Amino acid sequence: MSDKQIEIKNVTFSYGDGEEKRNVLENFSLDIERGSFTVILGHNGSGKSTVAKLMNGLYKPSGESGKVLVDGIDTRGSEHEIEIRRKVGMVFQNPDNQLVASVVEEDVAFGPENLGLKREEIRARVDEALKAVGMFEFRKSTPHHLSGGQKQRVAIAGVIVMRPECLILDEPTAMLDPKGRAEVMDIITRFNRENGMTVVLITHFMEEAEPADRVLLLNDGEIISDGKPKEIFSDIETLKKAGLDVPQTTELLFELKQNGMDIDTDAISVEETAARITAALHLEEK
Amino acid sequence: MKKVLKDITFGQYVESNSFIHRLDPRTKILLTILGIVFLFLADSNNLFSLLVCIVQVAIIIAFSRVPLRMYLKNIKAILPIIVLTTIINLFYGSGEVLLSFWRVTITTGGVNRAVYMAVRVILLILLSSVLTYTTTPNDITDAIESLLSFLRIFGLRTAVHMLAMMMTIALRFIPTLVEETEKIINAQKARGADLESGKLFQRIRALIPILIPLLISSVRRAYELAEAMECRCYNGGVGRVRMKELKYGLRDITAAAVMLIFCGGVIAVNILL
Amino acid sequence: MSSILEVKNLCFSYDPNNKDGKYAVHDVSFSVEKGDIIGIIGHTGSGKSTLVQHLNGLLKPTSGEVLLNGKNIWDEPKKIKDVRFKVGLVFQYPEYQLFEETVFEDISFGPKNMGLSGEELTARVNEICEVVGIKKEYYEKSPFDLSGGEKRRVAIAGVMAMRPEVLILDEPIAGLDPKGRRDTVSMIKQYRKAYGATVIIISHNMEDMALLADKLLVMNKGSIEMFDTVYNVFSKYDRLKEIGLAVPAAAEVLRRINEKNSSIRTDIFTTKAAAEYLCAYAAGEKGA
Repeated sequence: MSDKQIEIKNVTFSYGDGEEKRNVLENFSLDIERGSFTVILGHNGSGKSTVAKLMNGLYKPSGESGKVLVDGIDTRGSEHEIEIRRKVGMVFQNPDNQLVASVVEEDVAFGPENLGLKREEIRARVDEALKAVGMFEFRKSTPHHLSGGQKQRVAIAGVIVMRPECLILDEPTAMLDPKGRAEVMDIITRFNRENGMTVVLITHFMEEAEPADRVLLLNDGEIISDGKPKEIFSDIETLKKAGLDVPQTTELLFELKQNGMDIDTDAISVEETAARITAALHLEEK
Repeated sequence: MKKVLKDITFGQYVESNSFIHRLDPRTKILLTILGIVFLFLADSNNLFSLLVCIVQVAIIIAFSRVPLRMYLKNIKAILPIIVLTTIINLFYGSGEVLLSFWRVTITTGGVNRAVYMAVRVILLILLSSVLTYTTTPNDITDAIESLLSFLRIFGLRTAVHMLAMMMTIALRFIPTLVEETEKIINAQKARGADLESGKLFQRIRALIPILIPLLISSVRRAYELAEAMECRCYNGGVGRVRMKELKYGLRDITAAAVMLIFCGGVIAVNILL
Repeated sequence: MSSILEVKNLCFSYDPNNKDGKYAVHDVSFSVEKGDIIGIIGHTGSGKSTLVQHLNGLLKPTSGEVLLNGKNIWDEPKKIKDVRFKVGLVFQYPEYQLFEETVFEDISFGPKNMGLSGEELTARVNEICEVVGIKKEYYEKSPFDLSGGEKRRVAIAGVMAMRPEVLILDEPIAGLDPKGRRDTVSMIKQYRKAYGATVIIISHNMEDMALLADKLLVMNKGSIEMFDTVYNVFSKYDRLKEIGLAVPAAAEVLRRINEKNSSIRTDIFTTKAAAEYLCAYAAGEKGA
């Protein structure tokens, strides 16, 4: 088996027809390693959602050229659709519009029910998935009474219950408050670290890229940088050019550097930022 | 608005763990239908058959452990209809003339008929209230899907599945949409929209700023939900297995037996007395 | 009296009979001076949104009162609509309330409800678009063809077009990209400058609060926890943490440095000011 979970090869994708036709992606290529945590950063309209939807075959490459392989299976053929969806789970931005049933556990059961698994198996998987996202005690609740973060956790449970190898999340925290964002980020990171799940997180919050192994910066359908989080973060000009939100911590370091201070700008967390400044100002042990 | 929301989410469900609550929802639906049919089979010239029905409904209500005032509330809600049917029935029928004025005559037969009709309507309301008070909308949906599943022998499998899926999604999204409507109404009111006054035509026009945003957002929701369902391996319900299994138990047999005894009682009283 | 808005002992319960004695907003009193920018911060469910819906009469207090220019807004319940023109409220994600065929028509909705028509109406829309920088070539576009940030600004302009004395915005920049955020913030500033309006903003973003607001009102569990200058509120670091709120990241960083070296100030709350301070500090060290 190859160590590539997903391969996008020379794909072009366009919306509309004729005059209205607009290429979102042109000759786009990207490999996702099995077990990796990849963050795709980009502003609204950078093409990042399109990339996500290509990865589980929800969108197919336009035209004849280019292909997307999931575990070596071409997403173009419809005969493998279910198999691909089972391997690559997808979580969207608005938790409200992903939940089907009005009881939490029945919603989580939706996927395995579609797969036609045995009843006992479904039950066991649903309980396991709900425990994994910390929502087991809410299994009899109605989604309508949950907070945004809790709803998104249920949506994640509804996807991991199919035991995918890869989890794609398309701006899962965009509609949540700070508490909900932290809960969801914690769960995503845990799935990658503890269960070895391949994670592709699409976001425009730069700080969410911190736990990633690899960060891709997307602008107008093109990858403009690709590297480890620290490498990407230290190049603030490029980040800003891509229309991204730079965290205040990084912004502070950037301002200091622009004012002539000799300082590294690759930190995101408060601790690291403080440490960089302490070092630059030689404040240690005074 | 909050109340509307609550009513839709839970229907009229009253939390309890009574014998009736624990019955299979399919049993409850079937027995409710049976009960209603027999209400109308009971001979309207026979006091005893009506008494059998009253006793039957009284026992069911007692076993439902739902506070009596909840049932009274439902009767109160349709009181105008009861009064109207009673009055109309009063003027029909034959028998000894009790009262006669202008062109109207009231006879013993009319009084008889009016009382029977009123009692029947009340019992009908009580019986269906038992169903809605003791069964969640979710369970009712599942039961309907299961009860209609025999239609698949006529090649209607997809139709039954679609009906059930639609009911499920409706139950899930109605509270969301009610809340959204409330938000849009408030937002347009904050822009000075007047929804309360004016003539009918003006009022209908005033709904446009609410209906259009609601429509747009519903279409967007539907589209996103469809994508999410597709990602969760939904393929139109082919080979779908439900996690929740409805199972008939001893309880259901007991309930059915008791119901049948009463129905037998109605027939017996009809014939014998 | 110079208070434009005064809230006195406001209590509100969603249950009109209030059987369980629970209040969404409990015994809230504060007053807002004309021209102030007030930031409201607090957890989801702390009662912020419920509170602001009282200020324009969308909700009626269970007890207590709201005074606008010294007059109880519920004195004449039939004229509550006029209060809504004086106190403009922009809800969260206001772009979802757009409904007209063109940008111009949508911005006209509020002024039309005020009774403006014809040239007066056109003049009003032109004026507000000029103030907040919506170009004329947008007038005939469908609001649904605009980008997310543009939609948001058209929706906000729709409330501004009523020219409210008090403008309240619930999370006006949530979900926008940096450009959309900058544009929206500058439009709010322009409106305030042009009309001397009072502005109340609800936000989760402490940095923006530090930049924009004069005073902060901190809500916790339906009551006012603090109502003070930005400086004083953010100085109560421990209490803010206790109720689950953050201080701006720059202040947080300074605190960490201060733990290592206590000569570093911790009372600077914007990134720019912190950078200036640290540079000056470095220069001072060198000079010494």
